[in-house]
This record gives sequence, structure tokens and C-alpha cells, in this order.
Amino acid sequence: MKRSLRVTLLLALLVALPTSALAKADLVVATDAPPKAMNPHAFSSDANLSYMSNFFDGLLQRKAPEGKLSPALAVKWERQDAVTWKFELRKGVKFHNGNPFTAADVRFTFERMKDPKYSKLLNIANSIASIETPDDHTVIFKTGKPVPWFAETMHQNFIVDMESSKDRDDGDYNTRPIGTGAYKFVEWVKGSYIRMAANADYWEGAPKYATVDIRPITEEATRFAALAGKQVDIVNGVPLTLFDRIKTMPHVEVISRPARRCIYMDMSNKAGTPFEDIRVRQAIAHAINEEEIIQTVMRGQATLAHQVPDVPTVGYDANLQRLPYDPAKAKELLAAAGYPDGFEITIAGPNDRYINDEKICEAVAKYLAKVGLKVTLDVKPKSIFFDELTEYKHRFYLIGWFDGSFDFGRSAEKLLHTPDADKGMGAYNGALYSKTAMDAAIIASSSIIDRAEREKALQEINRMSVEDVAWIPLHYQQDIFAVVKGKNIQFTPRSDRWIVVKEIQ
Amino acid sequence: MATYIVRRLLQGIVVLLAVSLVCFWLFRYTGDPVRMLAGKYATQEEQEQVRKAYGLDRPMAVQYFSFLGGALKGDFGKSYISQIDALDTILERFPATFELALVAICFSFSMGVGLGVVVAIRPNGWLSRTIMAGSLFGISIPTFLIGILLVMLFSVYLNILPPFGRGDTVQLGFWRTGLLTASGWQHILLPALTLSGYQLAVLLRLTRAGMRETLGEEYIKTAWAKGLSPAKVILKHALRNVLIPVVTIAGLSFGELIAYSIVTETIFQWPGMGNLLLTSIFETDQPVIVTYIMLAAFIILFINIVVDLLYALLNPRIRYD
Repeated sequence: MKRSLRVTLLLALLVALPTSALAKADLVVATDAPPKAMNPHAFSSDANLSYMSNFFDGLLQRKAPEGKLSPALAVKWERQDAVTWKFELRKGVKFHNGNPFTAADVRFTFERMKDPKYSKLLNIANSIASIETPDDHTVIFKTGKPVPWFAETMHQNFIVDMESSKDRDDGDYNTRPIGTGAYKFVEWVKGSYIRMAANADYWEGAPKYATVDIRPITEEATRFAALAGKQVDIVNGVPLTLFDRIKTMPHVEVISRPARRCIYMDMSNKAGTPFEDIRVRQAIAHAINEEEIIQTVMRGQATLAHQVPDVPTVGYDANLQRLPYDPAKAKELLAAAGYPDGFEITIAGPNDRYINDEKICEAVAKYLAKVGLKVTLDVKPKSIFFDELTEYKHRFYLIGWFDGSFDFGRSAEKLLHTPDADKGMGAYNGALYSKTAMDAAIIASSSIIDRAEREKALQEINRMSVEDVAWIPLHYQQDIFAVVKGKNIQFTPRSDRWIVVKEIQ
Repeated sequence: MATYIVRRLLQGIVVLLAVSLVCFWLFRYTGDPVRMLAGKYATQEEQEQVRKAYGLDRPMAVQYFSFLGGALKGDFGKSYISQIDALDTILERFPATFELALVAICFSFSMGVGLGVVVAIRPNGWLSRTIMAGSLFGISIPTFLIGILLVMLFSVYLNILPPFGRGDTVQLGFWRTGLLTASGWQHILLPALTLSGYQLAVLLRLTRAGMRETLGEEYIKTAWAKGLSPAKVILKHALRNVLIPVVTIAGLSFGELIAYSIVTETIFQWPGMGNLLLTSIFETDQPVIVTYIMLAAFIILFINIVVDLLYALLNPRIRYD
């Protein structure tokens, strides 16, 4: 009896084995960050938006590699006057559930984006004063005050289906995306993978790969092992510590490109702190040997930054120069400012947000100690660190920034303007930097409609920030991707690091 | 027996209440949940709205009892991040962790006890010495290092076992299992081996010590003298008595394997509860963290009681009245 039971079980197992093994996806992409929710507006992080860009479309899209603004769900757009933006919508587009895409969906989306329960993209949503839909395929936005970069954000404001979203359970809305994108959502096994299937009716034509798995692997060593064991086809976020090893793997092609994100030390000029004196700020800038950080900490995988915006951003100025490494001059400046024996300084920063963030903080601490400052390091997980920034706890910290809208005016409003919640200014100015002339220049720039004139004004703001040492730009990160050879995968990384699967050939 | 069970259950309830109080305290005093719920850019007014909507404006005691009431009904609140029921979020991950712990404990129990017996019979042979030296490694090398070494060996150099994930799974009702597919078994071997390393060494040493002591007892000598076969003497007369402390430790560690497999799950990107806990801690998703702690306490208590009851089965001389 016992034996026959065992035999039966064994037989059942043998039958079950081959039938239940699921087909492997056509393409497997490993990323370094998992999605937090499948609600396209729930998180503004590039990691989350990257997933969403496959299930949803914006009115516009950005094309790889540099991010040129191009039509998507809207075929044409124009800025009719300082506050009016008109979008003509694409006809014949359907959501994954079969519903047609119309102007009503656009209006619903932007109204939902104003609700903090569903959206962290409140900034752009709340700038909208009214939405008019004269017909099913035209939308006219009016903003409360001029928002020169309004259209520039339309690649990341993903349009949801009104009919199915309105009454859906929040849990379901946050886990099962329904969009117009190139891929339909199949399954999200949390902590494991996100599976998607090609949308055969996609308005740009069906994408090449029929089924795709995206596997978030947060551990660097595991990501490396997955690549070494050929478990994945494409990896984003190749660990820097293992870069040399991966380069020698014969089956892997490594693609390295400068990222948009600039890593910089943000600094206060608050009265009553040593940072009030510009000589102290200059001294700190002179004390940091950024070239050495790039060579040792970053292993050469970073580009020296002279300013915070990157080349394609409106407001970038090729003539700006960073303060050179000069510890003797730093000591001189400190003595002149009344701190010949230094002062106590705390360097804050995240330890799980940017490439080698903690090690960069340690290096900066070492340089500052060399010129006589008494340094305390205060690095911690990003979830705690960023909360502390909103409470303005730190005067000197490491942080990274790139502007998704390619517009330095928007960056300046958030990072350089004196914090003012009522005006919506200085939201990320955690160090409490404040300068009246800077605030005035930022406000003045926002109502300039002419693009060339505006660029000049933004360059001026950028120059002011460097000359006043409002921050110390360190470097632009390098994004490193790896592609496993043999499947003939054509992959061009995007400057925003998004994995837009339809672009992979 | 019945009184004993009732007494243990009552004790368990008291412990759970204490844990819930600590959890609640954590829940309310480590950061304001309203900031999380309302979002970074919420105005004072919006924050007050949210505070009211979630009942966070009521006195602390009232909040605690309503939390308790909810917990009794299995409602631990919703994840701040995904807005899904916190318990569902965790239970969805339970099968993965349970299967991993199960395979790990089977591995460490069979290997630990088996090798322990071998070592006890010939304590001074070269094989025994090798095994004992090896067990020292099991105890002293931290889990993450074992895991990474195994991955380096089997996945990177030999390329025979996958380094991460759970492989193909099959949905059986509410239970998503990886134990019915070949790829599932391939994927579970390395993490289970990693997870079992420490327990294996502990069980081995425990069995060896117990066996060596028992083999010197009078009744074993009697058994040999009666001419019983070695298998009968060693397995039936000696091992059965030795197993009591071994089962206790194995049982208790099973609870720990389920509750604290965080490191192993992170290294192998195993989609279990430990992995979820770590992610939730990084995201300060308090409802999920608190629910996890409550659940872990419950599992460990439950296993403790089951182990006590198993004693009676293994050794009829133990009475609980």
C-alpha cells in the first residue's frame, strides 16, 4: 500500500514537471530597482516611470538616445500664448481593454494627477488652471502662471483610461495597469518579475519581442551572477565594483554612456552658520579633489562636472569652470574667514541612492579634514535621508539631480530659490540656500516666451549659482549597461535610463 | 494534556498582545504616517484631512483598541506604498519563504542527524574529523558569505545552477509553488543550502554529543549484549532518545528560518517575505513592517507549541499534566 502510494506520487510528479514549466520570455531585462506600484502617477522616480513607459503612453515621448521630444498620443502641440497649450490627439488609439482613447481620458488623467492619494506628480498637475476639450481629439490646457516647460514634461504624464479607472478598487488600480502602451501587462510577481506581452495593435506598430520579463535584482553581486550565468539578456545598473570583471567576459557587451544626473554637494548660506561667508564655501570647493574621486572611487566611470545641468539642458553654459583643487588656498580662505582652526562640519548623504554615494561622502570628508575642518559623517538610507531634507535638517550634503524636463529654469525654481511653500518654490532646497538676486532672476525668467532669450537668462542663473558657490558640482554619473551577445539584440541606452522595450531591436 | 494546551495557548495570547503593543508603539511614534499617506507636497490642510480620514486624530488608547480589533479580524491596514492590504501583501510571499525554509530544514535535519550519527560511532576516524572540522565552517561563516561563495562556484564558474529567483512556478489555489517544476528545484537548491548551513552544523554537533553520551548508557550495553543488530541498537534504542533535543532545536529554528531568512532571500533575490520586509524597511512602509513582526511572532509561538506536543510523541514518558 505504502509503496504503491509512493509510486503514484512519483508518477504524478513526473507528469507535472514538463507540463507546468512555463515558456521562457523572449527577452529578459534585469534592472536595479523594483517598481513600487503600477499606478503611473504614484511615484516620480525614474525607476518607476521606466516600467510605466512600457504600459502607458504620454501625450509626447522622448526618443533614444538624447531624448528629443516627439509626438506620441498627441500628434501636434503648440504654445498659443504664455499660459495656453494646445494638443491635437492621435485618432484610432485603443487602450488595452479595448476602450478608445479620447480627450476625456486626458482630462480625467490630469484631474486625477491633482489628487495626492493617487499622484506624486502634483507639481505639474496643480499648475493647470483649466482643461478644455472642444472636441474628442483636441485638448487645450491653461496654466495658472506661465510654465515654460509644460510640454517638456508630457513624456512622463502617462494617460490612463477613464472608464476603467474611475471606479476601480485602489489596490487593483495600483497593481494592474491598463494603458495604451506598446506592451500589455501580464503578471507582476512581486520581488520576482514583471511579465508583459506585446500589444499587437500598438499605434507605432507591434514591438519586436512578444513576451518580455523585467526582473528587478537589487543586490549588485546577484546582478553580476545573473549576467555571468547568462540568465538575463540586458542589465541596467552594472555594478561599478565589478566593472573590470564584466568587461573581460567574452559573452557580454558593455555599453557605458554619460548619464544626465549630476552629483553635487549642496550647501547652505544661512546666516549664523559658517557657510554664510562665501570664502568658507569657496574654501570647501577648493579643498575637494574631484579628479581623484573620479579616478579612485568611481574607477574612471564618471565625467567631471563644472555645473549642475548637463549638456542638453536649456541653461547649460560651456564657459563655466569649477574652482580648482587647491588645499593651500582653501586653508588661506578659511583663515581669512575667521576659521584658522577650522570648524565642525557634518557631511550628510544617502548610502543607497547614487553610485558609490557613501564612498564619495567619505572621500569628501577626508579632503575637508585635510584642510583642518572637524568632520562628522552622517550617511543613511535614502528613505530617512530625503525625509530629513524636507525638514531642512542638513546644511551640507551630497545629492544628485537631473531635470526630466531638460529645462534649468525648473531646476532653479526647485533647488536654488528660497523655500516658499505658498509660491511652490525651493521644494528641494534642503540646505536653505537663499539669495535675493537669485530669486528675482528665477522669477523673471519664467515669463520669457522667446526660447533663445530664455536660454540666456537661465545661463545667467546657472553662472550665478557657480560663482556664489551655491553648490559644488562633482561629476556626472556614468550609466553602464550590459548586453549578452548571441541573440543579436540592438540596444541603445537612453539618457534618462528608462528601459523602453519597444526601442530594443 | 488538554489543560496544558490551553495553558500554552493563553500564554501565547499574552505574548502576542505584548508584541502588538510594541508594534503599535513603533507604528505611531517612528515618523508621522500622515506625511507618508498625504505625500511630500501636501499642505497643512490636506494633511489634516488625511489624519481625520485614517482616524489618526483620536486618542492613543482608542487607536490601539481599534488596531487590535482590526488585527483580530485580520485587518492590519493597507501598505502605504501599494495601497494593498498589508496582510495580503505578506501572505502572497509566504509560500516562497515557507518552501525555502522547508527544503532547508529537510536538508539540515537529514544531513545533520545522519552525519552526527556517523561521527558519533567512530569519533576518531579521519572521516569524522573532517566532518567536524567542516561543521566549524558552517557555524562560523556568515550566511551572506556562504551564499555568495556558492553562487560564485555553481553559477559563475561551473554555470550549472541559476544564481537568483525562484524559477517557474505553478499556482495551486492560493499557493504558488516552485516545487513542482524542474526549474523550481534548480532555483531552490542554492538558497536552501545557504539557509541550512548554520542549522546543519548545530544539529550535527547536537546529535553527536547526544549519541556519544547515550551510547555509553547501561541500556545500550544491554541491547548490544542481547545481540541486537547494530542498526536496531543505534537507530532505535539510541537515536530515538537523542532526537528529543534535536527536534526541539530543529523545530525552533524552522520558525526562525521562516521569519529571518532575510539575508538569504536578499542575496538570491528570492521573492519571499524576508525580501519584502527589507524592501518595506527601506521604503518605511510601516503597516507591512508591523504586520510582518506580528506574523513572525505568531509563527514562532505556534511552532513552539507544536514542538512541545511532538515531545510526547517521541518520548511517551513525557507527560504534561
